[in-house]
Amino acid sequence: MDRRHFLRSLAGTGVVAGTTATAGCAGVLGDGDADGSDDASGERTILGPPEQSRGDPVHPIRGEEMPEFTIPDPITGGEVSTAQFEGERAFMWTSFYTSCPDGVCPALILRLRRAQELAAEEGLSDEAAFLAQTFDPERDTADVLREYAGPRGVDLDAGNWHFLRPESYDAGVELMDENFGLEIEKVPDEENRYENLEYTFPHYGLILLVNKRGIVERAYPRGSATEVEQIVSDFERVVTA
Amino acid sequence: MRRRDLLAGVASVGVLGGAGVVASGGVPDSLDGSAPDGRGDVADENGGGGDDEPGPVEPVTLQTVDAPGSRDGEVTLPAPDRPTFVDFFGTWCPPCAEQMPDLAAAHERIGDEVLFVSVTTEPVGEAVSEETIVEWWNEHDGDWLVAADIAAELAARLNVGGYPSARAIDASGRVRWATSGTHTAEEFVEGIERALDQ
Repeated sequence: MDRRHFLRSLAGTGVVAGTTATAGCAGVLGDGDADGSDDASGERTILGPPEQSRGDPVHPIRGEEMPEFTIPDPITGGEVSTAQFEGERAFMWTSFYTSCPDGVCPALILRLRRAQELAAEEGLSDEAAFLAQTFDPERDTADVLREYAGPRGVDLDAGNWHFLRPESYDAGVELMDENFGLEIEKVPDEENRYENLEYTFPHYGLILLVNKRGIVERAYPRGSATEVEQIVSDFERVVTA
Repeated sequence: MRRRDLLAGVASVGVLGGAGVVASGGVPDSLDGSAPDGRGDVADENGGGGDDEPGPVEPVTLQTVDAPGSRDGEVTLPAPDRPTFVDFFGTWCPPCAEQMPDLAAAHERIGDEVLFVSVTTEPVGEAVSEETIVEWWNEHDGDWLVAADIAAELAARLNVGGYPSARAIDASGRVRWATSGTHTAEEFVEGIERALDQ
């Protein structure tokens, strides 16, 4: 059983430095035995270990199985399970919300969308899926999500893009905590910075890249700031493997 | 049993706490080694993988906002035929507001020599109304072009991770000055001049 801790901090930079230092020592990736676990990842993944370790994060990392869960896709009206792609599609997953003011969410969506474009160019649309999960189901209805997709270049007609909308805010919070160790919290806009945003969500810009066997190839913990080219090229290697 | 700890500078918490320079998820990504840490000049931050000379940035067309010094319409950035200075800001970002007087002073001094523009990645016209941007612009005495990059497309092409950030781009579309954090008017002018010298 995993015991997962997720210590959050207000101080971005200093904390990141701390994480990096920890990561440098931990070396859990690649060599595989630092935490005593077996390392089947060398066989289960297409990509080798990333250049830098991620430390010991709360979310799944390279070589681990993608958590299985099922969430409604409000645009198709169906449901999407993270397990349904096994044997068929590599996929990318991220979480976001459309009201996100600070540039993180569109940056995450953009990275998935670029991968979607590459898949289309290479004739691989049927071998890939893109899962963008909102943690703001109250505001992010099917219509809002559809309208969000258009200006951001998301191709909803490609059949491989799924917005995921938990049935309730609480269900989404629970899902994120259980599967990714990510705490989602509604923060009221007390200072009234936005005339029409009652609340925002501080959040963690995680992107996961999962291979056709359902194994995580890459976790980009700061996906919104990771070079687009890097993510797209990792995706290409995984989807074409 | 496996115990996992993660210290995370959660993406946008700093934003809401009104904390420092690196207010968004765009902390220079030392974990990925993709960008140097710190807030100094990173002239080669852009370049799509090139090591030395950065390549030209492919232009993107954005909607502009009808606000003082700006107008409703479109703008292509970077400009195809002249140097461009882009300030990336957000109305949620206190340091962005703090440096507006310095940007205004820089605009006063050198604004005629470049396409001088401020860009936000907020969902303008969606969850964040255009009026919100205009009010902020008024409040902080903006008097130049302001545009909305709601898909974060320009931000991605210029490798913008945090807010505020600035880029000075020469007439050939190559980034000559890339920086994040707040700056003085003098620093802005010097940064922009790097794009003029080319």
